[in-house]
Amino acid sequence: MLEIEKLRVIFPDRKNFIFKDLSLSIPSGQKVLIVGPSGSGKSTLLQILAGLIPSVIEVPLKADRLQVDSNYGMVFQDPDSQFCMPYVDEEIAFVLENRQVPSREMKEKIQRILARVDLQLEDIHTPINQLSGGMKQRLAIACALALQPDVLFLDEPTALLDAEGTKQVWDTIKSIQDEQTIVIIEHKIEFVSDIVDRVIMLDDQGELVADGSPTRVFQDHKQMFDQFGIWHPSSWSDYLVSRTPQHKGNDRTAHTLIELDSASGYYHKNREILVDKAVINKGDWIAITGPNGSGKSTLVQMIMQLINTKGSIHYFFAEQNLPIYQKIAFVFQNPELQFVTNSVYQELAFSLTSKDTDKKAKIKEHLKRYRLEQVNDHHPYQLSVGQKRRLSVATATIKVDDIIILDEPTFGQDAINTFMMLDCLEELRQKGITIVMVTHDQQIVDHFATKEWKIDQGQLVEEKYHDLFQSEKVGVSSHAL
Amino acid sequence: MHFELNYQQTWLHLLHPVLKFIIVLVLFIAILFIHNPTILLYLLIGFGVLYIGWTGHSLKLISLLSIPFFIIFVSSATSMMFFGEGNTTWYQFGLIHITEESFYRGLHLGFRGILFGLLGLLFALTTRPVLLFYSSMQSLKLNPKYAYAFMAAINLLPIMVSEFQNLRNALKVRGVTYDRGVKGFYQRIQRFSIPLLAQSIRRAHRTAIAMEAKQFSNDRTYYYQVSYSLKDLYFITLIVTIIVFSIWLSTIYPVFPVDNVRMD
Repeated sequence: MLEIEKLRVIFPDRKNFIFKDLSLSIPSGQKVLIVGPSGSGKSTLLQILAGLIPSVIEVPLKADRLQVDSNYGMVFQDPDSQFCMPYVDEEIAFVLENRQVPSREMKEKIQRILARVDLQLEDIHTPINQLSGGMKQRLAIACALALQPDVLFLDEPTALLDAEGTKQVWDTIKSIQDEQTIVIIEHKIEFVSDIVDRVIMLDDQGELVADGSPTRVFQDHKQMFDQFGIWHPSSWSDYLVSRTPQHKGNDRTAHTLIELDSASGYYHKNREILVDKAVINKGDWIAITGPNGSGKSTLVQMIMQLINTKGSIHYFFAEQNLPIYQKIAFVFQNPELQFVTNSVYQELAFSLTSKDTDKKAKIKEHLKRYRLEQVNDHHPYQLSVGQKRRLSVATATIKVDDIIILDEPTFGQDAINTFMMLDCLEELRQKGITIVMVTHDQQIVDHFATKEWKIDQGQLVEEKYHDLFQSEKVGVSSHAL
Repeated sequence: MHFELNYQQTWLHLLHPVLKFIIVLVLFIAILFIHNPTILLYLLIGFGVLYIGWTGHSLKLISLLSIPFFIIFVSSATSMMFFGEGNTTWYQFGLIHITEESFYRGLHLGFRGILFGLLGLLFALTTRPVLLFYSSMQSLKLNPKYAYAFMAAINLLPIMVSEFQNLRNALKVRGVTYDRGVKGFYQRIQRFSIPLLAQSIRRAHRTAIAMEAKQFSNDRTYYYQVSYSLKDLYFITLIVTIIVFSIWLSTIYPVFPVDNVRMD
C-alpha cells in the first residue's frame, strides 16, 4: 500500500509548487498508469512513491502522510545510464550483492532472472554495450526483479526504443506481472492499456485531473489526452483528419539534387553502408527505414560526407565554396549537441555568414515560423524538448534552403511535438525544400514520405514510392480501445 | 560503437590484482634507488620480454603503446646528455656540452623512464578494472561506495567518446571554425568541454539514482571472490629472479663503464 496525503513539493529554483496538496493511495497489487504532459511532475511523483525523494534526491517536501514501500524496483527511461557495470552478469550480480545473496548462488540466480525476462544470451558474461535498446531495457527489468520487489516502478521504459524494442519490453512486463504493485509512466498508452487497471492523469500544474479505470478515463477525457500530447490509439487518425490532405506529388521528372552510384561509407576501414543506385530529387520526402543498427544513420552521414566514402556521390547544388556538410541542413538526434551560442537569437545569427543580407529580418522570420519568439533571449539548454528540436531545425534551414536531412527527429517526442514538427516539415516541402529523414515511425512513412528507402544489414535493399493522397489512408490505425 | 580490446588471457591476467598492484608499486620505488645503468638495462630486457610476450595483446597494440615511451626516452636522455655537468668533456658546441658523466646519466634517466612505462603498461594491460576494485574491496577494505563510483565512471567513458564524435560532427555541420595555434586549441576546449560536461553530469546523476534504486549498500557479498593462487608465487619468484639476475649480470658483463651515475 502506497499512500500520500496532502503532498506539497517545490523545486528550489522555481516559483510554483510542483504538487499542491496532492493525495493519492495505491492499494497493494494494483497496476497503475500515470499520464500527463511533460513538466507535470510524473517522474517526481514516482520518485516520491519510491522514497528516492527525499532520501537520495533532496527536494523540499511536506506531507501530512507519506507511506512508501522501500522494497521496490525501478526501471528508468535511458538505457545507457542506468547500469554501473560493463557486463550483463556483473550488473545483475551488483543487485544480488546489495541484497547480500551468497556468491555461490549468484550464477544460477542470474540465469534464472535472465530467463524470466526472456533475455537469451549465449554467455551471461556479455558486454552490455553489445545489446540492443530493447535488450538493455529488459536487462533493467531483470535487475529490478532481482530485488524481489513488492512494487515495480516503470518510468517511461520505452521512450527511447524503436517499435521492435518497445514491443519486446511490454511483452516482458506482461509476462512477469503477478502479485506486485506496478506503477507506470508512459506516453504511448497503446501498449499499456491492457496491463493496467487504473489510470491517473496529472495536468501541467501537477493537479490530479482524472482517476479511474482505463476505459473510463480514455472515454471521458479524450480531449485532454490530445491537449497534453499523450499518444493514444487514435492520435494519428484524429490528426490526419484535422489536416487538409495534400497531394504528395511524386514528380519523377524533377531536378536531381543528389545522385549516388555504388557509394559506400566506411568507419575505421570497415564498410558499413552500400548504396548501389539512388537519387534524391527536388521536392522529395525520403524516409529511411530499417531495423536498429542496419546503417540508417551511417547512410545519412555518408551523404553528408562526415565519414569516409568510396564510389560516387554527385551533388547538384549551386556552386559555393563550402564543404558538403555545410551545404546540406542536418539535424542530429540530440539537438543539444548542435547549439553553440548562449541564446536562441544568437544561435540563428550564427548560422548566417557576413555575406547574408537582411540578417535581422531573416532571423525574425525564422523565430516566427518555428514559434520561438517568446524565448528568443533564452539559453538553448533552457528550452523545452519540443522547442530545442524546433530550434535545431531552424538553425539548419535558415542557412540552407535546398535540402534538409534529419536523424530520427520525432524519437521520444510526445504527440503534440511530433505533429508540430511534421506540419513544419511539410510546409517546408511545399516550398520546394527536399526532406530526407531517418525514422522508425510507419505512420510518417505512410502519410508523409514520397519515397521510402529500406536499409538492411548495411545495404539499401528497396526503394518504394508512396504516391497516395494522405486522405486515402486515414483511419488505418484507428482501432478501438 | 564499442571499444573492446581483443586479447588472449594469459597467466598474468589471473594474478591477484591488488598483489600485482603492490608489486608494481614496490618496483617503481626500488628503481629510484638503482644508480647503475647496466642493471637498469638488464631489467629493461627482462621486463621487456614479459611485456612483449605475455600481456596477451596484439603486437600491433603493444608497439603502438610503446611509442610514447620511446619519445620520453629520447627527450629525457638527450636533454640530460646535452646540458648536464661533468668533468670529462666529449663534445662542446655553444650551449651543448656533452660529458662522459652526463652521457651515462642521460642514458640512465631514459632507461628509468621506459622501465616505468613498461611496468605501468604491464599492469594496465593485464588487469580488468572491475577485478582490481573487487579485490581492493576485499583485501584492502576499500569502501564499496568509492569502488563502485569508480567503476560506474569507467563505464561512462565509452559513451563520452561516442558523444565527442557526435559533437565534432555537429560543430562541423554548424560551420564552427577555429583559429590556428594556441588560440584555436583554447577555442576547441571551450566548444567541447561545456556540452560534454553538461551531458556527463546529467548522465552521472541518473546513474547514481539508478544505483540507489538498486538498493546499493555497503554491506554486501561479492560476485567475484578474488583469491591468491600459486601463480602469484610464480610471479613474485619471476620478479625476484629478474632483479637478482640483472644485478649478477651487471657485475660480470658491465655494459657501461660506470656503476653509479650520481655526482660525488
